[in-house]
Amino acid sequence: MPRGVKIALGLLVVAVIIGLISFRGIQRRVKRLAELQTADEKARHEILAAPITTSSDVTQAAKIYWAAGPDHIAPVEVQLPLSANPVERCRQLLHELTVNPPTPGQRTIPADTTVMGFYILPDGTAIADFSDALSSEMPSGILSEEMAVDSIAQTLESNVPTLRRLKVLIHGQEVDTLAGNVDLTGFFDLNPPAPAVPPTTVAAKSAR
Amino acid sequence: MLPPSGPIIVLDPAHGGTDAGARGEAVAEKDIVLQIARSARAALERQGYRVVMTRNDDSNPSYDDRAAMANGYRDAIFVSLHVASTGTPRTVRTYSMLFAAPADPLGAAAGGGSARAGPPVALVSWAEAQRAYVAASRRLADLIQGEFAQAFAGSPSNSESVPVRALRSVTGPAVAVEISSISAVTPDALTASGEPLGNAIARAIVTFRQAGAGGGK
Repeated sequence: MPRGVKIALGLLVVAVIIGLISFRGIQRRVKRLAELQTADEKARHEILAAPITTSSDVTQAAKIYWAAGPDHIAPVEVQLPLSANPVERCRQLLHELTVNPPTPGQRTIPADTTVMGFYILPDGTAIADFSDALSSEMPSGILSEEMAVDSIAQTLESNVPTLRRLKVLIHGQEVDTLAGNVDLTGFFDLNPPAPAVPPTTVAAKSAR
Repeated sequence: MLPPSGPIIVLDPAHGGTDAGARGEAVAEKDIVLQIARSARAALERQGYRVVMTRNDDSNPSYDDRAAMANGYRDAIFVSLHVASTGTPRTVRTYSMLFAAPADPLGAAAGGGSARAGPPVALVSWAEAQRAYVAASRRLADLIQGEFAQAFAGSPSNSESVPVRALRSVTGPAVAVEISSISAVTPDALTASGEPLGNAIARAIVTFRQAGAGGGK
């Protein structure tokens, strides 16, 4: 074998060994970074998570809307300590919706989702600010996104009758869609006022 | 079936490019809906319809570009095609646009709420261009869903109203159709639904047109 080829082969073997060593080092570093990130995320969640219950809360029945099959949601009545303060009450309800579905299959919003902020304006507009996970970990699709938004809206609507509409923010920002389909630029109506009874109907009823 | 003289059917395969949509094992919604759209297009053309598609490759036109394409035709029906991440396998759902009630009904009406005298200004908000066609879209969605209930066993008999982003700016009857689901049905079975889907849409559109609802508000 010519000497040049031997040298080239030798260099190649050395390069492969160096590459393997570097690759294992990079792998270890990526793993360590991932662990750090998870720890950071956990710490951030703990800091952001406001105390969910206070001593003045009263345990009562609440309706939480979880999935009741692959294509619809239904209320489940649970006993929850709930605040008299509507903002705190809403946070407690959304926490329950996110953290405690009766079974994993009944989950409508991603497990990592946290409520970063919740506000109620004087006109009854609720503004719910969720972490990125609500959008980034949501399976894309009209049905899955509709079930997610409906579970949030109907849980709030059923337990806080003063709310009139809902705005969903992701990490403090208005976003175009939840996961590519359902429009989040507008509002979702809550507790719509009962339609006025037409006078003719009243007349017809009283005529009987 | 009547070979209709109009309208133009705008088929919108959702997502595309870097937006894969729903993901299954080694398959993405963007690719499946493109194949379904091509089959549905052939089925609709066989019925005598003129069909255009918002994309015919792996591009990703913006929502506004897709709506603008439909709005460029005088008498168009917009059908956005999707595959779900969830749902009972092999069922199909039809959606029309749902807008929230205006916060201030007087102010939200075109030109309404102004203290100035004179005729109302009939400007159409691009972001809510579909609002004027919601009733027509709902009628069309119900008709299409009625056909799907027969063609795809287990599908609901009524359509739903949901704020679907793709429909928001279309100035004409517009619906979204979603097949379930990318995780529970093989890609071949999903793709094969294109032809029955196109035939069902064609039958519904004939009824819709005969009822005089085409393009109406």
